[in-house]
Amino acid sequence: MIRLEHVSKRYGNTVAVDDVSLEIETGLVCVLIGPSGCGKTTTLRMINRLMEPTSGRILVGGRDISTTRPEELRRSIGYAIQNVGLFPHMTVAANISVVPGLLHWDKKRIARRVEELLALVGLDPYAHAAKYPSQLSGGEAQRVGVARALAADPPILLMDEPFGAVDPMTRERLQTQFASIQQALKKTVILVTHDLDEAIRLADRIAIMESGRLVQYDTPEVMLARPANKFVHDFVGADHALKRLSRIKIGGYVKPAATVRVNASAQEIASALGGHRWGWVVDEAGRPVGWIDARDLPSAASLSEAIVRADTDEIAVARTATLREALSRMLGNGMKSIPVIDGQGRFLGEITLRDIETATAEAEP
Amino acid sequence: MLMFARLAGHDSIAFGGSVIGLLSLLFGWLELKPNRLAAGTGLSMWQSAGWLATAIVIVLWLICLALSLSGGKALRAAVIGMAANLLLFANFAFAGLTASGLLREEAAFSRVSLGAGIWISVFAAYLLIFSARQKLKGSPLWRGVVSWSGLLAVALLLGLGWLNDVSVVQEFMGNQERFSQELVQHVLLFGGSVAAGSVLGVLLGIWAARSGIAEKPVFFAANVSQTLPSLAFFGLLIAPLSALSSAFPALREMGIRGIGATPAVLALTIYSLLPIVRNTYLGLRQVDPAVIDAGLGMGMSRGQVFRRIELPLSAPLVLEGIRTAMVQAVGNTAVAALIGAGGLGYFIFAGLGQAAFDLIMLGAIPIIVMALVADAAMRFAVKAASPKGTAVPGQ
Ligand SMILES: Nc1ncnc2c1ncn2[C@@H]1O[C@H](COP(=O)(O)OP(=O)(O)O)[C@@H](O)[C@H]1O
Ligand SMILES: [Mg+2]
Repeated sequence: MIRLEHVSKRYGNTVAVDDVSLEIETGLVCVLIGPSGCGKTTTLRMINRLMEPTSGRILVGGRDISTTRPEELRRSIGYAIQNVGLFPHMTVAANISVVPGLLHWDKKRIARRVEELLALVGLDPYAHAAKYPSQLSGGEAQRVGVARALAADPPILLMDEPFGAVDPMTRERLQTQFASIQQALKKTVILVTHDLDEAIRLADRIAIMESGRLVQYDTPEVMLARPANKFVHDFVGADHALKRLSRIKIGGYVKPAATVRVNASAQEIASALGGHRWGWVVDEAGRPVGWIDARDLPSAASLSEAIVRADTDEIAVARTATLREALSRMLGNGMKSIPVIDGQGRFLGEITLRDIETATAEAEP
Repeated sequence: MLMFARLAGHDSIAFGGSVIGLLSLLFGWLELKPNRLAAGTGLSMWQSAGWLATAIVIVLWLICLALSLSGGKALRAAVIGMAANLLLFANFAFAGLTASGLLREEAAFSRVSLGAGIWISVFAAYLLIFSARQKLKGSPLWRGVVSWSGLLAVALLLGLGWLNDVSVVQEFMGNQERFSQELVQHVLLFGGSVAAGSVLGVLLGIWAARSGIAEKPVFFAANVSQTLPSLAFFGLLIAPLSALSSAFPALREMGIRGIGATPAVLALTIYSLLPIVRNTYLGLRQVDPAVIDAGLGMGMSRGQVFRRIELPLSAPLVLEGIRTAMVQAVGNTAVAALIGAGGLGYFIFAGLGQAAFDLIMLGAIPIIVMALVADAAMRFAVKAASPKGTAVPGQ
């Protein structure tokens, strides 16, 4: 889909990008990563001709982009940047409508598209379409930035630190959301970041750069397991194993576990535990609200006294979470197993520390 | 004393205005002169307008004084503002009445002119109006009423002939034709120069913002021109323009000479450049580069980025620059009369020459009113041009 062939960019004596060759397959997320000033932004901006390479050529869909008019090329490539760059004098809806407008879509189609996109990035169209950028929070603005980049449904998306300017919690939420949008839309994405966790979380391929040169281009798993040189090794850090865990979803490791209803009788509990020492306690809606230890039962004055209550959000992890999140949750709560829940918060099963150990050993590519 | 200071802290501008207003009664309110140029005798308000009129004015000033000490609610500000406008109106209305009464008993050439007391009252009333305006930010209607009603009422008095026996107005009657001629000339001089300055200033501002090479020389030139006193500037232009005009008779036929309208328009245009160039430059430079990058990256052409992003985002600041230039040019145009360009300055300098205070006022009052109106109109334009969702400059 996108091919860089021996692309270089010089500013006077500075070589910002040095003989980079790279091929990005359709539908994959390629993350450009490296220390500040290594040429990531320059590489990205050459793909939509905001900058022209000094030498080499770039092909998009097999065609040399230097033969396409820059404006035309850019209208077919979504562009989202760290500072968002929303037009402050236009409403959210007008911001999103810019590229469709440039492509002369009719008004009704644009209005429908705006609604669709706001819903896609998790913003209520009725509440947000008429707002001005100054009325948005940082996270909302970044979402609108992504919606705007997707407006004309471009097959390619260029993103320069699109989640850079928000707090870590919001960033994580935006990343998760972007991952699920990407799963549905399957765009060809080039995303620039200097945040390794973001790269590992989102990338199908990671391209790591050092002072203008492409040092390694691989899947995250391979890059973590077999860094090409000392630079990459140092860049990805010593905690490879931990980082690999964030590539693995919990889904495949969930196991069934004994559950007890909050209002169960002693007899029901005994049969539910079926000789196990521990059981998860769920409420009427099926959400885990604590656990029970069979050895506490005889001495407890009542059943409710025997239940160790806990906040669902604190002990449980979602099925869509990664093993790394599960591990961090376990360590944080000092538990060897934790419940896994679905989107509605209902109990699905549990995941144990032993499962994670096994996964770590298996994940070696 | 401490108590006094603490109380005065409530609204020191309105408090000061009220005190000045009361003190103004100690000065000559009207001046009775045997003829147009002779020195006159000052008359206090109670001597000329009588105790009733004086009592009304004193009560109004006292109301303002009391309210200025009682804190700054919007309702109180509105009352103070309206009282100040009423004072403005009352001073002129009583002056007109009294002047007519006085003249009936005097010789044919006698004049009644407005004394220092009235001008001090006007100043005091505008202090009150100014402080009231500040507190009425929330309601544009009241703000407008408080700002303009007194001035309009005085204009109405003028139109109805109520003030016809006041010497400034008599001066106007004697110079009616000349007045309208110079008024038109003034508007043409200042309007033409600001229009030319706006076009040139915006172009230079764009150039300075775009090109690293242009930035320094453009600002150097604009700054230097601004530091020259206007009269010196007019004078400086006389020599080269006369030389040009005698060297090329064709130019002379087009009206280009060392004195007259040409050097005036030239100097006024150059004067108006700095605020316009500066604000155009700032207006364009304050546009977030990320916004322009996003526009280009989404496929807007350079022209589309300019028209749809940079222009609307910088327009309020550019207009704010034009407002400054306009207010400044209204006053500077008065000086242009000195090099034979005409305009309302003619009356000011003629009046200075003859020591005829009323003639000076005949030139100065319309200039002040024009400056106020231009300022208000441009403020409105700035506000109207500020896109929703962005801040209005200067507010
Ligand atoms: N317009 C420019 N003029 C001169 N040098 C530039 C320009 N843009 C970037 N550079 C230089 O090119 C190098 C790469 O910059 P950039 O691509 O922005 O790095 P990154 O995005 O990885 O932080 C840096 O050394 C930077 O100083
Ligand atoms: Mg960068």
